[in-house]
Parts: sequence; C-alpha cells; structure tokens
Amino acid sequence: MADVKQFKLPDVGEGLTEAEIVSWKVKPGDTIKINEIIVEIETAKSLVELPSPFAGVVGDLLVDEGSTVDVGTPIITVDVGGAGGAAVPVEEVAPQVAEAPGGGSESDVATPKDDEAVEPGLIGGPAPGGRTSVLVGYGPRMTSAKRRPRKDAGATPRTPSAATAQQAVQTSMMTTPTPVTEPDVHEAEPAASAHGRTVESQPDTARALAKPPVRKLARDLGVDLAAVTASGPDGSVTRDDVMAAADGSLGSRAPVARETEERETRIPVKGVRKMTAQAMVASAFTAPHVTEWVTVDVTRTMELVERLRTNREFAGVKVGPLLVLAKALVLALRRHPGVNATWDEATQEIVVKNYVNLGIAAATPRGLVVPNIKDADTMTLLELAEALNQLTATAREGRTQPADMAGGTITITNVGVFGVDSGTPIINPGESAIVCFGAVRDMPWVHDGEIAVRKVTQLALSFDHRLIDGALGSQFLADVARVLEDPATALLW
Amino acid sequence: MTQITLARGVNMGLRKAMEADPKVLVMGEDVGKLGGVFRVTDGLQKDFGEDRVIDTPLAESGIIGTAIGLALRGYRPVCEIQFDGFVYPAFDQIVSQLAKMRARALGKVSLPVVVRIPVGGGIGAVEHHSESNEAYFAHTAGLKVVACSNPIDAYFMVQQAIATDDPVIFYEPKRRYWEKADLDETMTFEQAAPLHSARVLREGTDVTVAAYGPMVKTAIEAAAAAAEEGKNLEVIDVRSLSPLDLPTLQESVRKTGRLVVVHEAPVFLGMGAEIAARISETCFFSLEAPVMRVGGFDTPYPPSRLEEDFLPDLDRILDAVDRSLAY
Amino acid sequence: MPELVQLLTPEGERVEHPDYALDLGAEELRGLYRDLVLVRRVDAEATALQRQGELGIWASLLGQEAAQVGSGRALAPDDYAFPTYREHGVAWCRGVDPLNLLGLFRGVNHGGWDPNEKNFHLYTIVIGAQTLHATGYAMGMQKDGSDGAVIAYFGDGATSQGDVNEAFIYASVFNAPVVFFCQNNQWAISEPIEKQSRIPLYQRARGFGFPGVRVDGNDVLACLAVTRAALQNAREGNGPTLVEAYTYRMGAHTTSDDPTRYRLNNELESWKLKDPIERVKAHLSRTGMGDQAFFDALEAESDELAAHVRKGCLDMPDPEPLSLFDHVYAEEHPLLVEEREQFAAYLDTFEESTAAGSAR
Repeated sequence: MADVKQFKLPDVGEGLTEAEIVSWKVKPGDTIKINEIIVEIETAKSLVELPSPFAGVVGDLLVDEGSTVDVGTPIITVDVGGAGGAAVPVEEVAPQVAEAPGGGSESDVATPKDDEAVEPGLIGGPAPGGRTSVLVGYGPRMTSAKRRPRKDAGATPRTPSAATAQQAVQTSMMTTPTPVTEPDVHEAEPAASAHGRTVESQPDTARALAKPPVRKLARDLGVDLAAVTASGPDGSVTRDDVMAAADGSLGSRAPVARETEERETRIPVKGVRKMTAQAMVASAFTAPHVTEWVTVDVTRTMELVERLRTNREFAGVKVGPLLVLAKALVLALRRHPGVNATWDEATQEIVVKNYVNLGIAAATPRGLVVPNIKDADTMTLLELAEALNQLTATAREGRTQPADMAGGTITITNVGVFGVDSGTPIINPGESAIVCFGAVRDMPWVHDGEIAVRKVTQLALSFDHRLIDGALGSQFLADVARVLEDPATALLW
Repeated sequence: MTQITLARGVNMGLRKAMEADPKVLVMGEDVGKLGGVFRVTDGLQKDFGEDRVIDTPLAESGIIGTAIGLALRGYRPVCEIQFDGFVYPAFDQIVSQLAKMRARALGKVSLPVVVRIPVGGGIGAVEHHSESNEAYFAHTAGLKVVACSNPIDAYFMVQQAIATDDPVIFYEPKRRYWEKADLDETMTFEQAAPLHSARVLREGTDVTVAAYGPMVKTAIEAAAAAAEEGKNLEVIDVRSLSPLDLPTLQESVRKTGRLVVVHEAPVFLGMGAEIAARISETCFFSLEAPVMRVGGFDTPYPPSRLEEDFLPDLDRILDAVDRSLAY
Repeated sequence: MPELVQLLTPEGERVEHPDYALDLGAEELRGLYRDLVLVRRVDAEATALQRQGELGIWASLLGQEAAQVGSGRALAPDDYAFPTYREHGVAWCRGVDPLNLLGLFRGVNHGGWDPNEKNFHLYTIVIGAQTLHATGYAMGMQKDGSDGAVIAYFGDGATSQGDVNEAFIYASVFNAPVVFFCQNNQWAISEPIEKQSRIPLYQRARGFGFPGVRVDGNDVLACLAVTRAALQNAREGNGPTLVEAYTYRMGAHTTSDDPTRYRLNNELESWKLKDPIERVKAHLSRTGMGDQAFFDALEAESDELAAHVRKGCLDMPDPEPLSLFDHVYAEEHPLLVEEREQFAAYLDTFEESTAAGSAR
C-alpha cells in the first residue's frame, strides 16, 4: 500500500528563508534509500546537497530546476509504503556510512573543499534546525532579539513564595538544642514566621526599614527614621516620606510654628535650614575671609547680551549678564588657577582642581541651594547658557539633587536680582573663592574723558587667605572685571 | 560528660557510625595502620579490620573514583583527603561524577560518600597544606558542603554526614584539631542540631559576625574584645555552606542591621560574596551598612612566616566591624 | 602485526588457539551472528537519525561489533559492566532497549536506564573516569564475597588518562575482580594510537603486575573466549586482566567528525577486508549452519528493529522545564525549592507555557 510522504525544503543553516533548486539527482520512479542525495540546492552561502529522510520510490518532483522556493515548501514526494518503511538495507549501510562524508577517494586524504562553505553535518557546517554543526551535540542556534509575549504587561513577580519555601524547610530543620560549650546557645526557634520571609513585612518595632540611600538622606537631613510614617513597600520608609518629614522652610508649607503669646514664633531648625547653617559656620570659622570690590562699566556686556538674545543659535535660551560673568570667571580661572583650589587641612596640601564646577547660589522654595555646573570650563557659551537655564529651572522647582550640589570649585552669588549692589559673601565649604554680582544700574561714569550714562555694577570677591593672597585675588578679580568691561578681551587670552 | 578534642570528636563519630552500619568504610592515605596524619582515624583499623579501614595507594582521584564504585555497590565510604591542597587531583571525580551521578541517573543511584578534608591555615605549614577551597565545591550543584568548628559539632556532624544519602564534603579546621570541649555521649546525632543549620553562638545587637570552620573561634574572641569597647556583637557559626541556612542569618541581620562575614579563603568569589548578595537582596531595607567581608588576600597562600599577616585575625575582624559601624 | 588471539579468520575459517578453547554449537553461533547484525543495524539507524536532526550526535560503533558482542556475551547475569559512551553492543547484550540509549544522544536525558536493573552502568563521557568506578565496584564485590566480576570498557585514548592508570593500580594492589577491556580502535578522534603509547597496549599491564592479552577485536569468538577466561580469572580471586581488543573505528568519532581530515582511505579499505560480521556470515554459510531462510528472517527482524528505534526516537517527549530541579539531591535542598518555585512563577507569566529552548 502506498504511503506517500512529502519532503519540505529545510532550513539548512543560518535562518535561511529560500533556496534555488539547482539540479535533481533522482527522477520519478527511482528507488531511493535514506540519506541518498536527492537534490542540489543553492543557498545564499553555498551549494548544498540534501539527503533524503525517506526510503522508497520517488513520486513527483514538485519544483523545477532553476526555481526558487521558500523554506517549508514541499519539493518532492516519496512513496515509503510497502518496502519496510524507513528501513535501511544492511549491505548498503556499511560502505555508505564508512565513506567519508566528502566521498572516499582511492589514496590520499581528501582535502577540505577549497571554497569557504563547510559541508552540512561537518563541524562548522550547517545542521538541521538552523544550527551549526559541532562535534558534541546539536550545535548553536541563531537567536532573535525578541521577547516572548507575557500575560500581563510588567507582571514580574517579586520573590513570591520563596518565603513559604524557606518556611517549609525551616520547620524541617528544627530540633531540640544541643549542649554546646560556647556561651549563649540559641535555640533553633520553632517560630518560623520571622525566619522564613525573604520579603520583610514585619519590621521590629525598634527598627525602621529603609533603602540605604533613604537612610543616608534621612541622616543628612536630620530626620529620625523611626518617627517617620512609612508609605513604601513592605513597610519601608521612602525618600518622599523623608522629604515630607524634613520639610523645614518650604514656601507655602511652613513648618509647624508654635505661637506663644504672640510675642515670639518658634520655628524648628530642620532640613535645608539646618544644613545651610552648618555650612556657613563651617566655612566662616575655618577659612580666613577677605573681600575685595571692583566697580565695572558693563555697558559692552549688556550690548553683547542684547545681540545674543537676537542670535538664532541662542533662540529659546535665556541670556543675561550672569552668563557673561560666568564665562568671564571661567576664563579668569584659566589665568589664575590658584583660585580654583581648596585647602586640605588634614593632608596639609593645596588641591588645585583641573576642572571648574561653577556653583550658582540660588534661592529656592526650600531655601538656599548652591548647585554647580560641572566642567563649566569645557563649555561653549551656548552650552553654558543652557546649563544655567537648566540649573535655575530645577532649583526653582525645588528639585535640585544632592549630586548637583556636590563637588563645586567656585561660586557666584547674584545679589543684583534683589537690587542690591554688593556684600561680603561667605565661601561655599570646599571652595576658596566666591564672587558676588550686584545689580546693573545706569550710573554716571567717565567714558572717553567725558561724563556719560553707562551700565555699571559692582563685583565682590571673597577669598580664603590661607591659599589666596591679595595679589592673586586682586589680579583674578581684575581679570573678571576686564572681560565684563570689554568682552573682546576674551579674544586676547 | 567527656572532654574531647576536635580530632577525637571526628574519631569517635566515625567509630559510632561504623558500629551502627557495617557498610560504612573509611579509606584514604595513611588512615589505617598510622591512624591518619592527624590521628583522626586512630585505632579504627585495629577494631574494624583492613577490609573496612583501607590504606589506599597515593592517588587521590583513585580514592574518590573507587569510593564511587563502592557506593554504587551499596557501601558508604568515608574518604579522607590528607590535606586540602591535595584534593585537586580528585576534583574531576568530585565535580563531574560524585556531584552529578544521581541527577544523571534520574535518582536511580545514590552516592552516600563523605569526603573529609582538613582545611585551612594557621599551622605554620609549607605550601599546599593550608588551602581553603570550599567555594569550588559549594558552587557545584549536587554536593553538600559543611564545616565543623568545634569538637561537639565534629562528633555529631560527621555522623550526620555519613547518614545522609547525598555526597558531603566535610571540612575539619586543622588548626582547631586540638581544641577541647565537653561531650554528652548520651545524645544521638538525630537529637543534635540539624546538619545544615547555622547556630547563633553569641547574641548581640550591634553587628552580626558570621564565620565558619577555623574562623569561628577567632570571631568569638573578637566579640569578647569588642564587648570591652561597648560593642555588642552577635556571632553566628554558619556550619553548612551548601545548603546555606539563610533564615538564621536573615533574622540576625534584621535585628542588627549590619553583617560581617569572615573566612580564611580569599575574599574574591568566596562564601562571603554569596552571603552578601543574598542578604543584600533579602534584607535590603534592614541594612545600615553594606555587608563587609573579611578573608584572605587574593594571592596564593604565603610562606608560613607571613601567614598571620595573610589570615584574618581578631583585629581585622574588629576593623571591619568598626567600618560597618561608621556608616 | 603483533600476535593476537584469533579463533575465526577474516575469511571465516575456524582456527585453534592453545590458551583459549571455545566450543560453540550452531545455535550459539547463529545467536552471535544475530547479535552482530542487529547491533550494526541499530547503529546505522541512529546515524541516519542524527543526519536528520533527530539526535544531537551519535557515537557509532561501526567495526567494533565483535569486540562488544563477544565480551558482552561472556558476562554472567550478576557481573557488572561499566561502559564508555560507545558500547551499544554491550548494552544490547545486557538487555538494554536500544531506545534507552538514544535519550542521551537526543538530549532528553543523560542516560535513560536504571543501571542496577541491567547491571550496566550509565554511559560516562569523561574519558576513563568509569574505570575507577568499576574498580571500586569490584572491590565492593570482593567485600561482599560475591561470585561476580566487573568489566570496565575504555578506548585506546583513555589509557593515557591518569584515572585509568590509577584504576590499574588500585585493581592490582587490591586484587580486585575486574577485567579491563580496552577497545583499541586505533583512533582517539584524530589522534592515532602512536600518540598514546610506544608499546602495544596489552603490554602495559605487565608494568602494573597483571596479565595483558591482545585479541583480534573483529573476531567475536576470540573476544568471547578471552573475556570469559579473564572474568573467570577475576572470579577465582586472581585479580585484574587487561584485554586489548585490536579493532578499528570504521566511522567517525561522532557524527560531525570528518575522518578524511586525518586518516588515509586505504587504511579504511584494508580494515573493510577484516569486517567482523562478514567473516561470521561466511563461516555460517560455508558450514551450513546458516541458510538463506535464516539470513532473510534476520533481515526482516533488522528492519523491524530499525523501525522500532526510528519511531521511538521521533516519539520521544522532551523533558518538562521544571524537571531541571529533580533528582539533584536525595534530601530536599532549600535553595532548589526556592529556585523551582521562582522559575515556575516566572514561566507562568508567559503566554505559552513551555520555555522556548527545546532541542529542535
């Protein structure tokens, strides 16, 4: 009885999708054995001979020579019924299998084919299922860069019943105590409840649960974790919980003030206020502060600002005299790197920084913060402008991060926005100088030998006299002033 | 109550096991006539005969390989590898065969083999006699790995190891072979603490110090010194390296918030790394400080004149404790 | 060509050997022939299945049928055999269904039979490791006072491994009842026997203090006789023997090996003339012990067996993903309990229940 099987074009390697039938090696009516070569196909890589998986009588050749068909297309039918199905006749097998896959020749070792393609089934050659042949197994498979579809989006279980598993095994590990000569033997506790959980749902009353970064934040802000209401997973305290508790001087959310008989109002010192106070004290009573002033005609700077505002490159970017001051500062530091340094009391070294992290003091809803622009010295004017914008916007929203405030090397404090001329600013701890930028006013000035109305401002520089002497400080300040007075000076440096 | 040394504890445990089950064999180099280079098998060949206490040729792979064959035939061999540094020739038989044969046979064969290994340094020895190689075996699925730290555990744990149907690597801290303790001989090993459980040796509140094998005594001494400084350490003897008794460690860390793991083995990729990872993962919200690890340096074990600089000691443990407390 | 024990020439003529008498009736001879034919047929079918991607690899025993059937049929029921990974002929003699061998090569298990049921250990892939297991087992038999003996199979390459040499030492100093049966098929993948030893392998035994004998590995009668004698020697408490069955690996090391890269075709041709099955057929025909009806019936039986193997192979189910965690330990291990649960939960998040990585 006939049992007709179809042989479909296989993927002989590397994710083939189609192949051309080059030449048939059998014709209808031929009796073929398993592994007898029935067709030669051409793939993208090479010519490949296909062995028959069936033994029997060839029925139809379903594809013409020269045609290209997709992988999976039936290409030949074989009637396997009658002659023992897929059996392999014994006498044929020994010589056939014994022959080298490349075909035996009389004498010499057959050299591998000269072309690059390795025979199917040999090491490095294509193997069924789109794999590559190896000595010891199916061989590696090609993978695709696609995820398997999941049931719910984001349904990642978080160490689910590992707890119950631990619990189950813990109960099996219980016994009465051993007499040990070491002190304080602990009983193998039958109460597995506290043991088993990988998920912490029952915090000891004495100890709050919080991620390490949240613990640090709490410590930095002076918040007692144990007193904070926890809203996080597994009863842990979150960052927001801490921030909410730390809220000392937030704009409309004023700290709880106890009013006593209307003559005094007591505000608890917490959060940003506490940190600011600490910083000020640390700085003021460690570094000997000296402050110097200079009054500058910044008319040309203001003209530059106007031009920048209409410059297409600066479209959408806020530009002001602070930008020019920032640039002037960076340029002056290049000429006087000793100002961009810090006094290391512990190691008795002056540490000159080879980068400029320019801090801008900002008044925010949470209080005074001094975020800095990292590597301001590597920035173009445009980049500096953008960084300033960004910094200001972030600060205004109260979203300045601790990392933003760390690592500053010099600071500008802008009192001019308040209409104030100048002051004696306190150096930011870790730095050695701070520039105070006053209001820009129309003032009578001597210009080209005559009285004129010019834009005038004051700059003040406080510096740490341990490492910056008057000469250095003065030269530095003078350079900054020079750029503001005539921005073209920058071209000379 | 009888006072015994750790070596004697193993000896008595072996004897008890051999009395209880005629299939238990002891085999290794010099274990028979000599009674072992640490005298751990002293007297056993005299009482149980050469058929059961076997002096093997000088071939470690052969010891383990033939033990596997004996186990297949229904015996329960207890192999001795004379020193930690000499287990390497047997490494293939241990990890490719001993560890895997049960799974390979889908549970149809059992290899109840115990491999006893004197481990660790602190004995002023020449090369290869002071290794700590427990990580290689704890990392191999199919093996159980335990480390006793004191005479009483030695006595009970060796019997428990012999009684289990899984292959067990049984580490004995050679520098502690002569430590003494009092044994209650009326207790059976079924009544003792389970083989794969850790034990809190000293309760504390400030920092948990977890150690095993030779470092347990050092940890206890460190805790005593710390107490004088007003630091209250909790000391845990880990005892079983695979499987690890994680719940005991977790309960302690949730209480103290700080963990220091101590072992003689080099720090990189040692047991401390696994414990640290698991505790970080499961006790994240309880941690006040990162898990600290104190161990040997990542160098080959040094000449004996340098070993006290190499090995963790009380001061190094307390230094780690201080660093943990500084967070 | 060094001396070897031979009882049946390549042309099929019976010859005598002074040390090894063998008295076999027609029935037994036909039985051996049948074993050889069926073993070769299964091997061929498995090779074909591999080419079709139904097996990851196959280690063919082509050419070594006589060494395996001869020694396999020398074993008593209580004897124990420790194979390498090519002893499908010995497995046959021990009553292991050929299908059970395929699981390993298909990648659904690491060995699919109960060793104690058949007194046939699982296949060991680490070269030579099993010789130590065999020796230990024999030492155990010795302690039991059993009548049994052990046979340890390994190849020419294996004799270079430390473990095999350690096994020789242990077996000799403990006088263990083990026969070391080396199938010297001349090749260890691409390395010829000259890379493993300067002297004929059977002579190595002398260095360890026990007898060694070289037998014509393509002569089923000689292999039977020599192995029987060696086993008897072991049973009588005289310790180990090294039997070197001098044969040839007609096929490749495994299916994707290409022997044309390292050996000459005329070598292969010369060994074809010594085919183990042809000589028995010739003998049976010439003596009238095997007639055409017998050969035809055997051919039909071969076809049937091949079909059984093919069908069984194609029907073999893939193991379930969670079975990864089974049978690793005798006693429950908390880490595995946890991992299994987590993995089960993870798998449950996917739309399709099975993992993507099946062997196809």
